[in-house]
Amino acid sequence: MFRQSLLKTIVILALLGGGVVYTFFTGYFGKELVIEAATLAILAISLDMVAGYGGMISLCHGAIFGIGAYTFAALTVLFGVHPLLAFAAAIVATALFGAVVGAITSRTHGIFFIMATLAFGQMAYVTIFESRTLGGDDGLAGVPRLDLSAIGIDLMNSTNFALFAIAALALVYVIAAFVLRSGFGRTLVGIHVNEARMKAVGLTVWHYKAAAFGISGALAGLGGAIAAQQTMFVSPELLVWMVSGTVLMVVIFGGIGTLVGPAVGAVVWVFLKHEISSITVHWHMIAGAVLIITIVAGGRGLYGQIEYMIENRRAKQKQPDETNVSPLAQERETHA
Amino acid sequence: MVTDWSYWAVQTLNGLQLSMLLFLLSVGLTVIFGLLHFVNLAHGALYGLGAYIGISAAAATGSYWAGFAAAPIVVALTGMLLYLGLMKRMRQAGPMNQVLVTLGLIFVFVDVFRLIWGDLAIGTAAPAIFSGRSDVFGVVYPTYRLFIIALGAIVMAALALVLSRTQLGAMIRAGVDNDQMAACLGVNVERIFFIVFCVGCALAGLAGAVAVPVFSAHPDMGTEILISTLIVVVVGGMGSLRGAVAGSFLVGFAQTFGAVLVPEVASLLIYALLAGVLVFRPTGLFPARA
Amino acid sequence: MLKTITGAVVCATLAVAASAPAAAQDYKVGMLLPYSGVYAALGKDIDEGFVLALEEAGMADQVEIIREDTEVKPPVGLAKARKLVLEDQVDVLVGPVSSGVLGAVRDFVDQTKTPIIVANAGNDEATGENCTPYIVRVSFSNSQVNRPMGQWMYDQGIRKVYTMAPDYAAGRQQIGAFAEAFKAAGGEIVGQEFTPFRTTQDFGPYLSAAQATEPDAVYVFYAGSEAINFVKQYDAFGLNDTATLHGSGFINSPLYVDAQGPAAVGTVASLHYIPTLDTPENKTFVEAVQKRYERTPSEYTVQGYDAGRSFVEAIKSGATDKEAIAKALPTVEYVSPRGPVSIDPATNNIVQNMYIYETVEGDDGKLTQKLIGTVENVKDPVNGCEM
Repeated sequence: MFRQSLLKTIVILALLGGGVVYTFFTGYFGKELVIEAATLAILAISLDMVAGYGGMISLCHGAIFGIGAYTFAALTVLFGVHPLLAFAAAIVATALFGAVVGAITSRTHGIFFIMATLAFGQMAYVTIFESRTLGGDDGLAGVPRLDLSAIGIDLMNSTNFALFAIAALALVYVIAAFVLRSGFGRTLVGIHVNEARMKAVGLTVWHYKAAAFGISGALAGLGGAIAAQQTMFVSPELLVWMVSGTVLMVVIFGGIGTLVGPAVGAVVWVFLKHEISSITVHWHMIAGAVLIITIVAGGRGLYGQIEYMIENRRAKQKQPDETNVSPLAQERETHA
Repeated sequence: MVTDWSYWAVQTLNGLQLSMLLFLLSVGLTVIFGLLHFVNLAHGALYGLGAYIGISAAAATGSYWAGFAAAPIVVALTGMLLYLGLMKRMRQAGPMNQVLVTLGLIFVFVDVFRLIWGDLAIGTAAPAIFSGRSDVFGVVYPTYRLFIIALGAIVMAALALVLSRTQLGAMIRAGVDNDQMAACLGVNVERIFFIVFCVGCALAGLAGAVAVPVFSAHPDMGTEILISTLIVVVVGGMGSLRGAVAGSFLVGFAQTFGAVLVPEVASLLIYALLAGVLVFRPTGLFPARA
Repeated sequence: MLKTITGAVVCATLAVAASAPAAAQDYKVGMLLPYSGVYAALGKDIDEGFVLALEEAGMADQVEIIREDTEVKPPVGLAKARKLVLEDQVDVLVGPVSSGVLGAVRDFVDQTKTPIIVANAGNDEATGENCTPYIVRVSFSNSQVNRPMGQWMYDQGIRKVYTMAPDYAAGRQQIGAFAEAFKAAGGEIVGQEFTPFRTTQDFGPYLSAAQATEPDAVYVFYAGSEAINFVKQYDAFGLNDTATLHGSGFINSPLYVDAQGPAAVGTVASLHYIPTLDTPENKTFVEAVQKRYERTPSEYTVQGYDAGRSFVEAIKSGATDKEAIAKALPTVEYVSPRGPVSIDPATNNIVQNMYIYETVEGDDGKLTQKLIGTVENVKDPVNGCEM
C-alpha cells in the first residue's frame, strides 16, 4: 500500500531541491548529468508504479521511453508539427502502447509476463531500427526543444532545460503518488497481493492492469520526449532491451516499491556511472557487482533499506508485532 | 531453381541445425527452471564461456576435441561455484530477483571475457574429419553442420531416455511435479537440484564449444543468443523436455524460413511468435505442470 | 586495451613531467571513440595510430589528449562531444567510429564551430548533403570504398553478381555504390539480400539462397564478428568453389583475418589501406607500429595515424585556434602510409587510392594481403554538399 510518508516527502524534496541548487553551481556537463538523471528518474518512477506496486515486472519500459522520444522527434522533424503538440502526442502514443501491452499480457505472470513485455519491446525496437523513414540505425537529427519563449523561458539555455527537467520529474512524482493513493492504486496493489481474491470480488482485472500500464507508459513517454529534446537526436539504441534491464536495475538499486527510491537510485546511478567510467572502461562489471550485492543483501535497495529501518523502529515502538515486509519477502509470498 | 526440391532440403537442414543448437542451449535452462523455479539469465554467458574455453583449449592442444571435452567440464565447474555461492540462496527469492541477479552476472561475465580474451572476435576451425561437405541423398551440405544435427539428436534421445527410464529421471520428474512431496518421499531434492544445474551448465558449455567453428566468439555473444534461448524456453513452456524440443524447432524453423520467405519481417517473426503464444497459452505450449 | 591506453597516458605524462615540468600543453584534442562495446578494438587502433603520429612529429608533449568513450551509442557520443567541447574546451575532436554517432554530433560541431577529424565513420552524407566546414574526413566514405570495384570486377569478366550486407544504413550505402557502378559498367545484379544487423549469426539460409541463383561472384559488406561468421560459413557451404567472394575490404581486415583462417583465402576486396603496400612510407609505418605496439597495423591504425598526421600538418601550417585549424585541415596534403592523400575542398572528404587485394597464405603460413589492382585518386562526387 502506498502512503506519502514524511520521510518520502523529505527525501523527494531534498532530491529536487538539491538538483536545482546543483544546476546553478555546476558547469555545462554537470547540467547534462542533471537532465540525464531527471529523465532516468522519471522512467524509473513510471516503472516502479507497475513493477513495485502492481507486481508487473516490465522489460519494455526502455522501449516505451524510446517510443515517446521517437514520436516527438518524428512529428517535429518529419512533419513539422508544433513541439507542444508533438509533446502531447508522444504522451498519448506511449499511453496507448502501454495500455495495449498491459491488456494483452494481463493473463501472464512471473517470468512469462517479463518475457511477454520483452517481446513487445523488442518488436518496437526492430520496427524502428528497420524503418527507413525514421532513419534506421542512424536515427533522426535536428529535434527541436519546446518553445517556451511566450512565458519568457529559453529552453536552449542548459540551465533552463535542467530546471525544466527537474520540474517534469516533480510533476511525474506527484502524478504517480496521486494515482497510487487513489482507490485505483489500492486496487492495483490488491491485484498484486492476491489476484484470485480480486477476481472473486467481481473485479475485471485486465482493465486495471491495462490502465495502470497505460498511465505508467504515459509517464515513461513524457520522459522519453524530454530525453529527445535534451540530445536533440534520437536513435534506436534508446529502445534496446538492455535499457529496460538497466532501468529495472536502477529501480532495484534505489528500492523497488517505494516510489522515492527509484528516483534516488537514478540520481546515484547517473553520477556514479560518470565517476566510475572516467576511471575504468569496465564499469559494467562494477554495476553488475553492485546489483548482485544489492539483491543478495535483501533487495530493499538504498532508499528502501533506510525507509525499512526507520519505519520498522517506529512500528516496534507502537506495536511490537507489526513489521514491514521486505519486497524480497513479498516476492516470495506472491510467488509461492 | 527455387522450385528445386534440393534447395528446400538444404533450408530444412539449416533449420534443423539451428534448432539443435538452440535445443542444446535451452534444455538446461528449461529443466533448471522446471526443477528449481530458477530463471538464469546468465545461461547465455555460460554458453559464451564454453565458446572461449573451446577456442583456448583447441589452440593450446591443437585439437578441436580438447575444446569439445574441456568446455562442458569447465562451464559445469563454473556453474557449480555460481550455484553454491549465489544461486542457492536466491532459490526462494522469486523470479524478479533472480532475473536481476543473473542480469548482474551477465555484466560481470562480459567484462571478464573482455579482460581475458580481448575485444576482438576470435574463432577456431572445424575438426578435420568434419570439414568439407557431404552428400546426403543428393543434397550437398557442410559436414560440420550435419555433426551438430547428429549431436543434438543424440543429446535429445539420451535426455529423453534418462528422464523416462532411469531412477534419476523419475526423481527429477517427481521434483518438477512437486518438490516438497518428492522430498517427503525420501528423494534428496537438494542433490537432484545440484546435479541438474551442473548438467544444464555443461550442456550450455558444450553448445558454446560446438557453435564456435560456425560462429565466432566475442564478449557479447552470450547476450546475443540469450533472447533466442529465452524465447525457445518460454514458447515451449518451462520445465519440460517436450517444451524445449518443440520450442527449439519452432524458433529454429521460424528463423530459417522467415529469413528465406519473408525477409522484410524476419527479425520481427520470433517476437511475434513469442507474443502470440503467450497471449493464447500464458504458460507456453507444453508447461511442465498444469 | 585499458592497460595500453593508461600505459600510454602514464608514459606521456611521465615524459612531460620529466622533460618540462612547467610547460603548459598547447593543444587539447578530444578523442571521441568507442573504448567499450562492439567497436572497442577499432577505437583502440585509431587511438594508437593517433598517438603514433604525434610522437613521430615530436609533438606528444604539446598535445593533451582527453579520451571519452562513446559506447557506440549516438546519444552518449553526443553527450561526450558536448562535454569535450564545452567543458574541456578541446581545440579539435577526433573520431567517431560509428556513423550514427557522427550523425548525432554533426549539428553540434557545426554550431560550436569545432573541427572534427573523422577517423572512421563512413556515411556518405557527412561529406555530402550534410557536410559542414567543420567535418573533415581522413578515413573513407562508404561509396568511395566500393564504387571502384564495379568497373574493376566487370573488367575481370564477371557478369552476374549476388550481393549481401547487414540491413542498416552503412550496409545499404556500401552495396548501393557497388551495385550502381557494376550495373553502369554493364554487369547484372542477380539477387540482393540484406540480413538483420547484429542479430544474424547463421547465414546458412541466405547462403543457400545465394547459391541457388548461380552467380559468377558474390559481393558483400560485413565487418567484425559478422565478417568472421560470414567468411567461414561461405566456405563451409562450398560457395568458394563456384563464386569467388568479393567485397568491401573490411571483410578481411587484418584484425579479423586470423580468426577466419583458411576460409578467407581467395577473397578479393577493395580497401584504402593494406599493411603489405610496398612503399617506403608504409614500410616505415609498419615498422614503427610493430616496434611501438608489437603488432601489424590495420586500416583503423592508419586512419588514426592520418587523423594525427593531418592535425600535425595543420598545426605546422600555423593554425592555433579552432577556426584556423578548421581552415587549415582541408589544405593538408602529404604521402601517407596508404599513398598520396589530400582533402577535397568541395566536400572535405579524403582523396586517396583504393587497393584491390586478394587474401593469400604467406610464406610463414599466416594469411596476408596480395595487391592485385590499384585505382588511383578516388574522389567522391559532391553529393549535394554546399559549404
